[in-house]
Amino acid sequence: MSAAHNASYLSRIKPGWKFGSLLVLSIGLYLISSWQVLLVAFILSVALLASARVDLKQLRAPLISIVIILGVVFILLGIQTNWLNAVSSVLRLLTMCLLAYSVSLSTRFSEMLELFQQVASPIRVVGGNPDQVALALSMTIRFIPELKKVYNEVREAQHARGLANNPLAVTVPLVIRSLKIADETAEALDARGYDSAPANH
Amino acid sequence: MELPPIRIENVTVRYDERDVLKDVNITLDERRIGIIGANGAGKSTLSRLLNGLVLPTVGTVRIGELSTKEHAKQIRREVGFVFQNPANQIIMPIVSEDIAFGLKNLGLPKNERQLRVSTTLSELGISHLSDRESHTLSGGEQQMVALASVLAMRPKTVVFDEPTTMLDLRNRLGFQREIAKLEQRAIVITHDLEILEDFERVLVVTNGQVSFDGLPQAAIDHYRAWSHA
Repeated sequence: MSAAHNASYLSRIKPGWKFGSLLVLSIGLYLISSWQVLLVAFILSVALLASARVDLKQLRAPLISIVIILGVVFILLGIQTNWLNAVSSVLRLLTMCLLAYSVSLSTRFSEMLELFQQVASPIRVVGGNPDQVALALSMTIRFIPELKKVYNEVREAQHARGLANNPLAVTVPLVIRSLKIADETAEALDARGYDSAPANH
Repeated sequence: MELPPIRIENVTVRYDERDVLKDVNITLDERRIGIIGANGAGKSTLSRLLNGLVLPTVGTVRIGELSTKEHAKQIRREVGFVFQNPANQIIMPIVSEDIAFGLKNLGLPKNERQLRVSTTLSELGISHLSDRESHTLSGGEQQMVALASVLAMRPKTVVFDEPTTMLDLRNRLGFQREIAKLEQRAIVITHDLEILEDFERVLVVTNGQVSFDGLPQAAIDHYRAWSHA
């Protein structure tokens, strides 16, 4: 999940600062055990998210999942340790999630990739190419929905033939079509001037 | 815009002992060129020769003075390529970032990239798609984004490989209008014969050879006659 466009003050802060602060704050939250302080941190994180002018519709589905997971965590911790400890843990995790959403939803995907390229630049020493890794990362995110679409098409087609529950009947065409997509995408990368060899930018 | 001629000289392309194209000799210097022919006739291979995606087994392809064998990188700047399935051509998750991708490959600085992205989107009337996630676009929108990503690189020639195959009538007509407006040379491989009506030249490819080369109506008549034979 990343920001396509966001005009808040958070979006104007350099991604390195945002992600660095997120890391430091997350570690800091683990050093706090007082539930009152964690409650304040949680309220501040809500305020931060609200002030970041993010598209709240994007948050609905992930927040529901998080609340369900944290609900389970809360009950288990409450039973195993004590309820105050469960409150502290849940507040800590929720605060971290909200901080992470504030950062990711106010940062463009391309900015995250550039940051990743900088952070991963030491891998050049061992012959790695951070540009290639960043491209692979962005293409993974780009093509997950495409592959899901292909999977649904294949499943529908096999369902029509009465083979919906046959894993082989779904897997084989899925793999073949995925390879075709990979082939065409490689050709498109070539046509658009992508050169994997030099790191000139 | 000065358009360098494309010279295909004595070109044969061989895959697995089979000649997909056989001894093709043509010079393309018109602004609107169509290529038609049956499936498997060699149209796509011919189109891919034009920007070096496919290299000739025998012979030479030159864009102006540049040979596709020796100047692949420069030729990618000169000749853009719009694929049949735009979904596989869009590389980045966000539209504006996808258009900037090719510009980054050209080595353009960030501010120049941003300017070109917004100008190209605006010229094609799709500025509203700038921040959309690529996978949420309709087929017609994806095809326009694919075109934008190519035009942003300012090529002198754009090759279209069956660009309207996956489009409905409305999007097909819209895309046809965009092709007509281009100041670049457009080389269109298509089964959609109506697109070719206003073109200056149409090649018919049969069994790996250019079997007809002339005006659109005569080429379409030749292709129809061949199809019925």
